[in-house]
Amino acid sequence: MSGIQWVMVLATLATILIAPVTAYAAGGGKPATKIYNVADTRHMESGLSKWIADVYNDSLLVFGLLVVSIMASMGLVMGFGMDRVIAMIGIDLRRLEHHE
Amino acid sequence: MDFFNVYLPIADMDFNVLLLIFIGTTVGICGGFFGIGGAWIVTPALNIFGFPMPYAIGTDLAHMGGKSIVSTIRHSKFGNVDVRLAVSMIIGTTIGMELGATLVMYLERLGLAESVIRKLYVAFLFLIGSYVLKDYISHTLRQKKAATAAAPEPVRETIAQKLQRINIPPMIYFKTSRIRCSLWLPILVGLITGVVASVLGVGGGFIRMPALIYLIGCPTLVAVGTDLFEVMITGAYGAFTYGIKGRVDLLAAMWMLVGAAIGAQIGTVAVKYVRGYSIRLLFAATIFIACTSVLMKQLELTLASSVLILTAGLVISLVIIILLIRGIIKEKAAKQAGSQRIL
Repeated sequence: MSGIQWVMVLATLATILIAPVTAYAAGGGKPATKIYNVADTRHMESGLSKWIADVYNDSLLVFGLLVVSIMASMGLVMGFGMDRVIAMIGIDLRRLEHHE
Repeated sequence: MDFFNVYLPIADMDFNVLLLIFIGTTVGICGGFFGIGGAWIVTPALNIFGFPMPYAIGTDLAHMGGKSIVSTIRHSKFGNVDVRLAVSMIIGTTIGMELGATLVMYLERLGLAESVIRKLYVAFLFLIGSYVLKDYISHTLRQKKAATAAAPEPVRETIAQKLQRINIPPMIYFKTSRIRCSLWLPILVGLITGVVASVLGVGGGFIRMPALIYLIGCPTLVAVGTDLFEVMITGAYGAFTYGIKGRVDLLAAMWMLVGAAIGAQIGTVAVKYVRGYSIRLLFAATIFIACTSVLMKQLELTLASSVLILTAGLVISLVIIILLIRGIIKEKAAKQAGSQRIL
């Protein structure tokens, strides 16, 4: 393609991309209705609570990943830990025979 | 008691830590015993004590994922988790939930969503409770008859056995459940339960557990363990999706998980000392109470409904603890008697 043709293709692409933005700026689109939640950390002392709240305020994606990883880690640690505690009581925790 | 109050920055309120641990323990016991998530206990329990509803749902899902890991680990060591079966059902459930959501939106456009879903919820809970109770009563009568009869009565083929005979490849042997059936059976059952759960707006544990027993033919304990595996997966997904929407109070979920971990072990170990049909009877009772609670909510007796479900959760947990203690005492007595005979 010649130089002029490249310019025409790029100009067309730019128009397609910019036009909707321009329409919204002119008031043609719906106003944004997204509400952001913010954890109030103004009176919180530093610690686990404040750290969680800071992550929440900084990035909900990171917060979502944090929720899954903390719940999973706690579940695993407590699962195996509680198994040890139950075994110490003397309950037989081997495979069960199924009886209906 | 104020000493145990902790500030939850995301829900923006003070809440009693002991209450969180208590709610977690109660639902952990029921969840580990029946193989369900227990959202229908947690969400009204949190809400009744002032937890904002959107955060109650997300926080419950988050702690449910962690709690189910605890129960699944224990159930898998007992040999109650059929992973292959669970994965097959998850495929169906995921598709079913998407279809269910589409159906709800269609009903919404017709202006029928609220009225249809409410009635469906009550009807469904009543149906499940009635079927499980009927099954328990039939089983008990059969056993009594067999004890007195000269010759054993021929056993009728169950729905699950009929469905297992349908030969649509690939035919799979599910080792833990000891059933051989078409792979399409658990996928289809997962799809149907997924649609129902999505339409009713629930996690679906209380639908999948009886479906595993009556439509696929799982032994009760394997149904409990396998369902918990699925609850673990859906809980993790729910935790993430509500987390990125900012609707999880992580601190509250962590405290609830402390209680739930203890409760889940109690509930899971208790199944060791209870026969499958006794679990079904307790499950039927729980479902009937849940049905009554939902009906009360629809009659706008919201507070009474929440009090009923919380009390029921507490009473059922106590019953399970009593069954566990009784079972431990009997086991220890049997061990002692056995060792004395050897001496």
